[in-house]
Amino acid sequence: MEIVVAVKPVPEAETRLRPDASHASLDPEGVKFVLAGYDESAVEQALLLKESTVGSRVRVLSFGPAPRTEEVLRAAVALGCDSATWVEHPSDLLPDAVLSARCIATAIAGPFSGLVLCGRQSGDEEGGIFAGALGALLKVPSLGYATNLRWKEPRGQLTLQRSIEGGLEEVESSLPLVVGLQQAWNDPRTAKLPNILKSRKAAIEKIPWEATVATLGPHAIPGTVRRTFRLPPPRTGAKMIRYDSPQDAAAQLVRLLREEAKVFP
Amino acid sequence: MVVVAELRDGRLVEPVREAIGVARSIGGAGATVIGVYVGPPASEGVGEFSRAGLDRVVAVEGEPFARTTSSARARTVAELLRELAPRVVLLAGTSEGRDLAGRLAVEWEAGVATNVTAVEPLAPGPIQLTRPIFGGRATQGLELPGERAVLALRPHTFPPAAASADAAPVERRAPTLPQVPVGAPTMTGFTASATGRGPDLAEASIVVSGGRGVKTPENFAIVEALAESLGAAVGASRAVTDAGWRPSSLQVGQTGKSVSPQLYIAIGISGAIQHLVGMVSSRVIVAINSDAQAPIFKVADYGIAGDLFQLVPALTAEVRRVRGR
Ligand SMILES: Cc1cc2nc3c(=O)[nH]c(=O)nc-3n(C[C@H](O)[C@H](O)[C@H](O)COP(=O)(O)OP(=O)(O)OC[C@H]3O[C@@H](n4cnc5c(N)ncnc54)[C@H](O)[C@@H]3O)c2cc1C
Ligand SMILES: Nc1ncnc2c1ncn2[C@@H]1O[C@H](COP(=O)(O)O)[C@@H](O)[C@H]1O
Repeated sequence: MEIVVAVKPVPEAETRLRPDASHASLDPEGVKFVLAGYDESAVEQALLLKESTVGSRVRVLSFGPAPRTEEVLRAAVALGCDSATWVEHPSDLLPDAVLSARCIATAIAGPFSGLVLCGRQSGDEEGGIFAGALGALLKVPSLGYATNLRWKEPRGQLTLQRSIEGGLEEVESSLPLVVGLQQAWNDPRTAKLPNILKSRKAAIEKIPWEATVATLGPHAIPGTVRRTFRLPPPRTGAKMIRYDSPQDAAAQLVRLLREEAKVFP
Repeated sequence: MVVVAELRDGRLVEPVREAIGVARSIGGAGATVIGVYVGPPASEGVGEFSRAGLDRVVAVEGEPFARTTSSARARTVAELLRELAPRVVLLAGTSEGRDLAGRLAVEWEAGVATNVTAVEPLAPGPIQLTRPIFGGRATQGLELPGERAVLALRPHTFPPAAASADAAPVERRAPTLPQVPVGAPTMTGFTASATGRGPDLAEASIVVSGGRGVKTPENFAIVEALAESLGAAVGASRAVTDAGWRPSSLQVGQTGKSVSPQLYIAIGISGAIQHLVGMVSSRVIVAINSDAQAPIFKVADYGIAGDLFQLVPALTAEVRRVRGR
């Protein structure tokens, strides 16, 4: 099986967010970009499928600027991906999920008959747009919120579950397919030191931005413009309820929620 | 403007009413709001949709749609959009709606934004909107410059449209495209989640979550009883799901679900950053924790320092009392 994983470098969870000088976007200065969240699930799922299906390979792709994109691709190689493609974008461009999907679709190239895995939403802007957009571009079905993918060899069928409103949906599909992964494992594997060292020297295919522009033509521009990046006023700490008894605490809280916060039905 | 319907168990889901409300408010008095339904035959649900405040409804019903996922319906929706030629399509920000958004953006060649929490009234020029990013730790102002836009709204953010007394006219069409394209994913089953009785975690307007402080899987029933009294969804910290006390589908946080309800109640949860990123954008946060120094109190609006085993049952009783049941 041909397995493709698309990953996006995102700021690590503990990052202190700051707007840049234009106040339109995150200031990337000093931010550590990593493979994170649902993308980690996508990589883990790809590797599990590879291990259980003889003759499959995992190719990881990412569209992004230097140096973070190459770093994240090397991290994915260290985890066990077989090959990596970096679709380069100029660092002053702020692409969106649809442009990302167009660029990755270009790099996948040709009629696609395998499986694409990505996160169900990215760890920064959380659009959840990429999987559907890529599916439409590749002209293959797509779905998000997936967990627990299994490949049933004799019939050539993929089974998976979707964690959606109200429950778990069972889905069966043939390939090709694009899947957005919901978190499925709390502990995706970590790379072993020798593999990390090896990944530093791994060959990474690079597609220059000019080549992508040549293929995409007028579509090589983002469809959205970021205008503002605002931080909410800092939370000032909880109003602590002083009480005589648990019943008193409960009565006070309910009254505050009703009368002050106005959230209580 | 077009609003795409979503039914669950044959009933219109609430976020669709919110989308109709947004269409009305951004379109102004003269705007026409057309409802589009593509799915399995559902006369009751479509009837409900037609009374939800729309001017007109176009319904494409076909039995095979029952087993497909949104990507199969996207082609039919896009075909209708090419004909109806709206400026904006509004989707409920459910999993179905969000899955549809990216697909429609390409098939209908439109700008797209999801998780939208505010939209400026339509005017000539780009559409201006606001959306939370980084799990609600920041807010993004976004502009969609194109002629067409697909917007998926964050549930529970906008007031629902008032239902209309008269039903809008419904035009029924036969499907023209294959409803189940060759090789398309098909649904083979559905298991209601353990909390299937209550609202879904990602959509609920109140979430009650328990953490390691609850100490045993049996004790977790204390958290669930409070949730039930409030009509809330149940969540959990990773300490709880890792220990297997409750399924991982309940996990809130960086590697679980992001929630932003009107009210989030954290019980016996310390407030690790990986938990906070999944819930800090909730409108009002309440924390109950025996450690008055627990970091959760820094992000909470109201805190009670004390023993959850005494406080939570008292709170459940108080909620039942004031709600009269
Ligand atoms: C990569 C990564 C991803 C992660 N993702 C997530 C995630 O998605 N979601 C998540 O939740 N965590 C996540 N974590 C784990 C996170 O760091 C914390 O370990 C976890 O959130 C702690 O859960 P907790 O608050 O329930 O437990 P604890 O931190 O052990 O807190 C228990 C709390 O209960 C209180 N308590 C004890 N007894 C009582 C009592 N009788 N009455 C009242 N209060 C009491 C204690 O004072 C304490 O504050 C992640 C960690 C990593 C490294
Ligand atoms: N620039 C990118 N390069 C590669 N994959 C991406 C890129 N942007 C998004 N993705 C993938 O699409 C998923 C969803 O992204 P989004 O639609 O932006 O929320 C991410 O989790 C990634 O797996």
